[in-house]
Amino acid sequence: MQTEATPAQADVSEPDLVKRCQAGDAEAFDQLVTRYRTRVFAMIYNMVHNEQDAWDLAQDSFVKAWKSIGRFRGKSSFYTWIYRIVMNVTIDWLRKRQIKAGGAEFDDAIQLKEIDPASKTVPKADPLPHQRMERSEIRARIDQAIAQLSPEHRAVILMKEIEEMQYHEIAESLGCSIGTVMSRLFYARKKLQNTLRDVYENV
Amino acid sequence: MKTFEEKWTAWLDGQLTGRELIEFESSLPDLAAAEAEKRDAQKLGTFLKKELGAQALNNEEFFSHQLRERIARETESGRDRGTRSTWWTIPRLVWSGATALALFLICAVAILRQHQPGEQSDYLTQILNSKVDPSANPNATVSIFESKNDNKVTVLWTEGLQSLPADYASK
Repeated sequence: MQTEATPAQADVSEPDLVKRCQAGDAEAFDQLVTRYRTRVFAMIYNMVHNEQDAWDLAQDSFVKAWKSIGRFRGKSSFYTWIYRIVMNVTIDWLRKRQIKAGGAEFDDAIQLKEIDPASKTVPKADPLPHQRMERSEIRARIDQAIAQLSPEHRAVILMKEIEEMQYHEIAESLGCSIGTVMSRLFYARKKLQNTLRDVYENV
Repeated sequence: MKTFEEKWTAWLDGQLTGRELIEFESSLPDLAAAEAEKRDAQKLGTFLKKELGAQALNNEEFFSHQLRERIARETESGRDRGTRSTWWTIPRLVWSGATALALFLICAVAILRQHQPGEQSDYLTQILNSKVDPSANPNATVSIFESKNDNKVTVLWTEGLQSLPADYASK
């Protein structure tokens, strides 16, 4: 995973920064935040599709990380650990928002019923409304497609395709088995192939 | 035992090797169609990476500044809570409760003793009542109160008495 530290900050190893954080060094934590803030924000933004919400959730995630850094034992990498916090915060938020809305923005059961695992993802026959889509329109289509996935499916596809994380890292971040990650990835890909094929085939 | 979905995902991501790969590919009814599906999924991955990977965080420094302020504020309030909670420890609470209960009991006993009237002697009251003629004094009651203190005061309380019995003489 790439980080965004300055050359001077990059000299300090991550385990050292974590140790200093555990000793209460807020400056060291600030350096860790600088390394991961953009990626954390982008990850959350891709899940919630709202800049202000993503900002607040990223802040909440880092505050939680600061409060619980004493319990980090270094068994996994720091970014896997922070991603776990990010995922917990974001998925909880999405679930609460779904309950508040009272409707099913996403429904795993429906989703699984709708997709035949052996089905071939056939391109949509509908022609594109415009020959050249605006970038914002493409983005809106992607956001719309991702919004139809459950929070867990969103998390898996984004961590795999955007963050290029390994199965075991995703599993650690979400607190589930590797098999579950692979299964969720299968359905998330199928769903996105079905809904976005006309977009990525024509870009 | 891996499910079909798990094997498919592993195959798609190039994670299947050796015998597992051969077995999986031979189990597919149409390998050419599956290969096309694989290329399509990879295209989706590339597309998502290109479109979503460039999401920038505006005002990065303000983000860190706001976070630092929030952490400082929460650490401070956590310290305050910590100070308050250490004063009201469980042993302190127990001792405070026990002391308050003891004080209450002492006060209650003292007040009860202070206000306790002389006890009525039931035995003497019965004797006195038997000496009153019920036909002459139908509503008469005679009671005797004795103080338990050392001064040995006795109070005779009569009510509704029309006349004193002839054979009664107070001593």
